[in-house]
Amino acid sequence: MTDKDRTNKNGSSRDYYLRAEGITKVYSNGTVALKEADLEIHSGEIIGLLGENGAGKTTFTKILSGLLPPTKGRVISPHGPVRFKSPREALSFGIGMVYQHFALVGTFNAAENVALSHERPFSPIQLTATKKKLEQLMEESGLRVPLDVPVEKLAVGEQQRVEILKVLSRDVDLLILDEPTSVLTPLEVDELFALLRKLKGAGKSIILITHKLKEVGSVTDRVVVLRHGEMVGDVPTAQASTEQLAQLMVGKALDEAGSAVELQDKGLPTAKRERANVRTEHPVLEVSGLTVKGNTGEVAVENLSFEVYGGEIFGVAGVEGNGQSELVEALTGLRSAEKGKASINGKNILGLDPREIYMMGVAHIPEDRWRLGLVLPFTLAENAILGVQRWDEFRGPMSFLRWGKVNQHVRELMKRFEIRAAGPNAPAKSLSGGNQQKLIVGRELAKDPHIVVASQPTRGLDIGAAQYIRDLLVEMRNKGRAILLVSADLDEVLALSDRIAIMYEGEFMTIASPKDLDRETIGMLMGGVAVKEGAV
Amino acid sequence: MSRDMTETVPQKEKLVHRTLTGLNPAIESLLAAAVGLIIGAILMLVWGYNPWKAYAALLQGAYGDAYGWASSAARGVPLILTALTFSICVRAGMTNIGAEGQVYMGAVAAVAVGYFTLPAGLHLIVGLIFAMIAGAIWSLGPAILRLTRGVNEVISTIMFNWIARFLTFYMVAFVLVDPMRGEKTISIPVSARFPVLIRGTDLSWSIFAAVAFAIVIYFVLWHTVTGYEVRAAGLNPSAARYGGIKSKRTMLMAFVLGGLGAGLAGATIVMGNPPTYAIISGMPQLLNAGFDGMAVAMVGRNHPIGILIAALFFGGLTAGGRTMQFTAGVPLEMVRVVEGVIVLTMAIPELIRVFRVMRSSWDRLMSVLRRRSA
Repeated sequence: MTDKDRTNKNGSSRDYYLRAEGITKVYSNGTVALKEADLEIHSGEIIGLLGENGAGKTTFTKILSGLLPPTKGRVISPHGPVRFKSPREALSFGIGMVYQHFALVGTFNAAENVALSHERPFSPIQLTATKKKLEQLMEESGLRVPLDVPVEKLAVGEQQRVEILKVLSRDVDLLILDEPTSVLTPLEVDELFALLRKLKGAGKSIILITHKLKEVGSVTDRVVVLRHGEMVGDVPTAQASTEQLAQLMVGKALDEAGSAVELQDKGLPTAKRERANVRTEHPVLEVSGLTVKGNTGEVAVENLSFEVYGGEIFGVAGVEGNGQSELVEALTGLRSAEKGKASINGKNILGLDPREIYMMGVAHIPEDRWRLGLVLPFTLAENAILGVQRWDEFRGPMSFLRWGKVNQHVRELMKRFEIRAAGPNAPAKSLSGGNQQKLIVGRELAKDPHIVVASQPTRGLDIGAAQYIRDLLVEMRNKGRAILLVSADLDEVLALSDRIAIMYEGEFMTIASPKDLDRETIGMLMGGVAVKEGAV
Repeated sequence: MSRDMTETVPQKEKLVHRTLTGLNPAIESLLAAAVGLIIGAILMLVWGYNPWKAYAALLQGAYGDAYGWASSAARGVPLILTALTFSICVRAGMTNIGAEGQVYMGAVAAVAVGYFTLPAGLHLIVGLIFAMIAGAIWSLGPAILRLTRGVNEVISTIMFNWIARFLTFYMVAFVLVDPMRGEKTISIPVSARFPVLIRGTDLSWSIFAAVAFAIVIYFVLWHTVTGYEVRAAGLNPSAARYGGIKSKRTMLMAFVLGGLGAGLAGATIVMGNPPTYAIISGMPQLLNAGFDGMAVAMVGRNHPIGILIAALFFGGLTAGGRTMQFTAGVPLEMVRVVEGVIVLTMAIPELIRVFRVMRSSWDRLMSVLRRRSA
């Protein structure tokens, strides 16, 4: 039956592939995520779905891909209305989605994960065939992943590539990608976009959820803008200016001419680039000869030495999976180091547990906010004291929890860091991604730390939230605090950092001022080119 | 296949599914209790009993008068404590099946206070402390195995239950045995007994011990930093580690707190349950006190308040069951059937998901067969 659908679909009688009509979604808690959203999707086009966090982008695509039922409205194909009971049904119809948070079995390798997604009950596992197909797909698409390593050992960026391959291997007609570039390096982004254009050429439709205006301009044919659950714009990319899109998305006029530049510049804090020189005389963080092993026992960080001074942002750029996560984990007490020294204000931190390190004035914004940063079923208030729960402010005699103080603290955080939530007792999982991250950042910065270790602090956030968090980091820097910023977003590292280190296979290729590095050099260093030349 | 994808999806099925999974915990538990009673009624009909008569008798016996309420509450007392044992560990992210064995050890320790004399009241308190410590010590075995060797606590607690069982058999038969009457242990002296709360019933002051323990656990879990850490580690161990919480400490904490509760449960059974005040050979009073507590914890949604209500309900089933047996002639075992169905019903939201998967597999299989035959 599915095959018949497919052949009919490519017939000439229709001029659209899929049409969403009046899609409304009201969640059981009363949140209206989508209001009467309409969208027509044609074969062979790339649609950019633009909007801030919480604008309804993900909800809309979840409805298209069968994960959520709409409250009202319908999705129709040229053959009549379609209604998917599950993503599996949507997939066999030809709609596949790659989510921001992955659905992979950690202990399975990439080939097994893909084979699993093809699995039907009681049918034999086609592991060899899957592997063959994957190798061919990787050849065509340029997305490379190791096939024999359990995916939990892979970096987030690599895991995402597995997810994309998983969907591509199902020969989908409509591919939906939720913020796919947030974990990719510039080179990988180019490869991905080349792949998307190739797929478009083959008559496939693609919906790209993003908040990066630059990407919209470079790859899409049409831009659809969502704001607060409403479709506020649907324009051909060629006719839309960046400023216009940014305004549609944010929904408020931008105050000054400078702001438009800011938005064009991916929302980076241009104004704050002119910063006072507040660099301290002595380094806050000193690392020398640090060697850390990864999950598989491989050397992930090798003989690394650097210092981070107060009043500077030290940015670590690089392709994900080159030891950045292990470096951060070793410095925050989550992973033990093999060799070397690391100290905060002259006091050793290696071998201490996370709490002892926090007590020395370290704040940690973790790369994975769902796994590390938050206890999702906990309330906002409970999450607001994670890591500081034993401070005298919150812990009374007999270990009693001072709920009054906790609630006061969370209200202050909500106000100071613009966290939008129903209240201190709302579960953290009910918050949008941007607000969840603001909660983490707020919690960490409220510790008034000597050093902030920020790992992918703006991943997957909309312009507003990302810029806000970047501003906060710069503000901390201007107060004389040290910031160790690890990010896969090169523009972010370039714009924020006073000094940049490019990490490749556990080592720093260089440490330099962003002014002394052009993008080409960086791209080459990130790809390890200098090392290879040196070795040859 | 295409038919399924179009508008003809049966709307009713989706509604059932959504209501069952989206329900709030209290309603889910009530629903499970109702389903348990209904299926019990159907079974009674099948076997030729009159369910109306039976349930009327059960209700009368359990909650019909002060005596009924007292009997129900008395039977609920140890269940409150063993349910807490289970749910503290669930909150800490573990499945502790060990309450059963810890109850035995608590009861043995409580009986042991019969070998010395102390003033009334003090004797009782010393007995309770003995029992709680014995329960906690018995929980340390699985705890240490888990923390040092990573042994799964489900397996180790089940093993410790058997060790405790035969150790108790031995103690009852050879060590604590009453020299006058070989079928039981020495009796707990009056100075170490819980006074009877309502004359003529078997409800004693032990209910206050159980309720007090529930309140303490509530405060520990939701109003102390330690409890906060236990719950955080139970819900997301990675985030807890990030937050500087030592999960080994929270696990040990949960095991020990649970052991204290289960030991106390053993004490309430032998020190607060007239007329025996001793362990009888074969220990009929103690058997299943721990396992039934797990059912109570499930229905009570692992919350101390919910557990108090659920324990009164399960206690009522047992107390009312006796009335049901001699008024309506329905065997007491029917109560166990109802309890079992309730526990199964609690798992229904998950079951519906499984059924849906099975159904779609079935559909696919049938469509393949149809295509083959066509």
